[in-house]
Amino acid sequence: MAGALAERVFAEKLGRAGFADAWVGGHRPTSIDEASQYPLFTDEVIEQMRRALPSEQHDHIATSVIVKARKPETP
Amino acid sequence: MAKDLMYQNEIRDAVRDAYGSIASGAGEVVASMLYSEEELAELPAGARDWALGVGNPVRYAFLQPGEVVLDVGSGGGIDTILAARRVGSTGRAIGLDIVEAMIDRARANASDAGVEGWTEFLLGEMERVPLPDASVDVVVSNGVLNLTARKSRALAEIFRVLKPGGRIALADLTVEGELPPEIANDQSAWAG
Repeated sequence: MAGALAERVFAEKLGRAGFADAWVGGHRPTSIDEASQYPLFTDEVIEQMRRALPSEQHDHIATSVIVKARKPETP
Repeated sequence: MAKDLMYQNEIRDAVRDAYGSIASGAGEVVASMLYSEEELAELPAGARDWALGVGNPVRYAFLQPGEVVLDVGSGGGIDTILAARRVGSTGRAIGLDIVEAMIDRARANASDAGVEGWTEFLLGEMERVPLPDASVDVVVSNGVLNLTARKSRALAEIFRVLKPGGRIALADLTVEGELPPEIANDQSAWAG
């Protein structure tokens, strides 16, 4: 999660890589409680999130999205 | 520049170590949140148990029979197996992961799912995909691009292996604003 991009930056990188027709959708908020289901987060970092982030952000610390794009037929 | 490269390698190694050391996936709770009952019924228990993604990219990929699909960061194989079901035995599903234990796990799960005949798993990095240029119709990925510090390089590799007209459907996390530094600098927060 620490390496997640802002949605606008993600779309810009797709464009710079050569992709066309970028689409971002399927937005779903991710909460600290959801993150705690993943064994990749240590208990310490989950607790750190609870301490460091304002309580109003605990239900939305990141957003899960679907990104679609295509490689043009011609360069 | 050298310092940046070291940082990138440290992140890659930390992510690989984290995924290589976990004893289970996020399990049925997360799997049932991301996949429909019909999709879960297409998967062996081992693949469901090792769900670690953040979305359902295969649902958005509209895969067709006969297509070649690459799943970048295939983990326990959950999305590769779903993709293999969609492209069928006239197509090919390829999973790519940097963790050898995940490759072994995914192969076993694909065998349990009965799709091993047209499914393969490759050990390798998303920044250096071990496939020829223009060899893939579709690339899917689930919660993986955020794990690399070299996102532009990974996207360039995905672009390279896609055939002209090929498409991507990537599930990933986005964050608006900056995470507090004590979280952003924690290796566990990079892997999760």
